[in-house]
Amino acid sequence: MAKAKPNTELCKGCRLCVGACPKQAIIPLEEVNKKGYQIIRVDEEKCIGCGMCYKTCPDCVFTIA
Amino acid sequence: MAKFAKPESIVNTTEYCGGCGHGIIQRLIAESIEELNLQDKTIGVVDIACSYWSLDALDYDMIAGPHGRLAAVATGIKRVRPEANVYVHSGDGCAYVIGLSETSYAAIRDVPITMIVANNGIFGMTGGQLNLATTLVGDKTVSSKAGRNPDTMGHPVDMLKSFQNYDVEFLARGALYDVKHIEQTKKFIKKGLENQRDGKGFSLIEVLSPCPTNWKLDPVKAMEKIKNENEKIFPVGVYTDRGGVQ
Repeated sequence: MAKAKPNTELCKGCRLCVGACPKQAIIPLEEVNKKGYQIIRVDEEKCIGCGMCYKTCPDCVFTIA
Repeated sequence: MAKFAKPESIVNTTEYCGGCGHGIIQRLIAESIEELNLQDKTIGVVDIACSYWSLDALDYDMIAGPHGRLAAVATGIKRVRPEANVYVHSGDGCAYVIGLSETSYAAIRDVPITMIVANNGIFGMTGGQLNLATTLVGDKTVSSKAGRNPDTMGHPVDMLKSFQNYDVEFLARGALYDVKHIEQTKKFIKKGLENQRDGKGFSLIEVLSPCPTNWKLDPVKAMEKIKNENEKIFPVGVYTDRGGVQ
């Protein structure tokens, strides 16, 4: 099944994906990327590959494959 | 094969602030152009403002017009290259305040271009000044410290209603605060590009977009503000569709 694969180097820590996920599979972290933004992690157990995070993300972080 | 992946036309990282609606708008434009297979014919016109970032990010022929005068630049391009797919990515300061005359006359001439206007109720790139057309009553900006006072600064204007007076092809307003509205906005943008491809007239799509940096809200709260406040003043939907449902 398709899962969301985040490229967290592109992430800008806006957290819009966290609320958009229907399965609460996106977990906000305190860890930061090279740009200094707090990133997220996808819980693959919960992810259903629906693409809501891809459609909400302003920075094209997610690939659903 | 990926079910959803970054459009191939986006070749660089987007440099907008975190949670900015311009990033979503830029992706919707790229997706729509790729789905209509217009990549090689596309000429994008961007403003000297936040939308300028898409000049570096997108793999199309692009030009940055003088600030606010994008509709005039796009009209010129369309006149000399009628086969090109000319779209404008601008903000509300450009299209509705500084370049209101250019936008109006492009609409009056019914030039077959596609304008995409991000309505974020503020001048974003210059640091968050009041926008006479779109800042809501009571909103605090750096040039209205106590909030917009309608006695001295007037009320916000629904510009799509004023453009309805002109004989144009398509006017619509979308929003970005949830996936349903993002999908609806994409349909509007695609319809605007299709109108141009089919040689119909002027299409303008306004998008209610957040500016978390200058609203001084976190991105999630900025989206809630659009849902609870901005959409009440600027209702989402189709305003003019001359082609209509056949």
